[in-house]
Amino acid sequence: MPKITTQTSKLLPYLFQHLDAEQTVTVFHVGSALPETVDFFSNYRCKLYFIDVFSALPIVSDEEAGSTPAQQFQELLHVPADTVFDVCLFWDLFNFLDAESIKALLAVLHPHLRKGSLAHAFSVHNRNAPQQNNFYGIQQIDALSVRGRQTPPPCYAPHSQRELTAVLDGFHVERSVLLPDSRLELLLLKL
Amino acid sequence: MIGPSIVIKGEVTGEEDLLIQGRVEGKINLNGNQVSIGESGEVYADIKAKVIQINGKVTGDINGHEKVIISKSGNVHGNIIAPRVTLEDGAMFKGSIDMDPAEAGAGRTPAAAQPSAPQLKASGLDLKSV
Repeated sequence: MPKITTQTSKLLPYLFQHLDAEQTVTVFHVGSALPETVDFFSNYRCKLYFIDVFSALPIVSDEEAGSTPAQQFQELLHVPADTVFDVCLFWDLFNFLDAESIKALLAVLHPHLRKGSLAHAFSVHNRNAPQQNNFYGIQQIDALSVRGRQTPPPCYAPHSQRELTAVLDGFHVERSVLLPDSRLELLLLKL
Repeated sequence: MIGPSIVIKGEVTGEEDLLIQGRVEGKINLNGNQVSIGESGEVYADIKAKVIQINGKVTGDINGHEKVIISKSGNVHGNIIAPRVTLEDGAMFKGSIDMDPAEAGAGRTPAAAQPSAPQLKASGLDLKSV
């Protein structure tokens, strides 16, 4: 049984501050569904889409197969055409995608986002920040659960803040918090 | 009970609880009752029931009028609609979950009663050390 630790989050509460208990919140969750995340959202009227992009890594252009990151994300993201996400939980996915793949992911997501959609992600303050091999979940409104992965995802190559900001098409870095190990927690706002 | 060696292709309906240890392909409609899929159970079907407990494998959409529980040995690929969904440690799930706790009746804390989130005031990069 993997060890579960709790990590406080200053930005997580912002994702939920405007949610109306009477309205359905639609969530795009990158990665495996964890029990605590499902339990947390059971307090809300919600629709959760769990799409484990990590299991599909590496997502890169494959010229021999004629496959682009955009095509690979299209195949992964099977959601109804009228789905609009209020909240996206990217966790540390951007640290495992190159710039082209991040842009491709956001392009595929674009029709499913609205102005004001919020997202949470982890990035790095220093590109030498060590790789974190974790699953993330939501323990409570201001705390994450962190579980170690048995197999590290491939292609860890974090982006500098400047690089990442440049490829986050349509998203604005609303707030960021410096974490231990030169990591950053980001709150993203869809413009 | 549908035993481990039984294979059913078609629609299963009825007015009693059902334990599936074998294989079912098609549809399962037990709207007022509980459906349990045992560890050896394999279901390739959409399931409608009051309570659905999954210890085995399910590929299909699941509609639990009261509750859906995916146990630690459960493996689900499909979309779930239920007022309450419980995922146990070790459970495998791929798909979407549509929950409405208001339909589950009393006993749950509404979102509005959770600890309030701070107001987002600052705009732009706000780097803070923790």
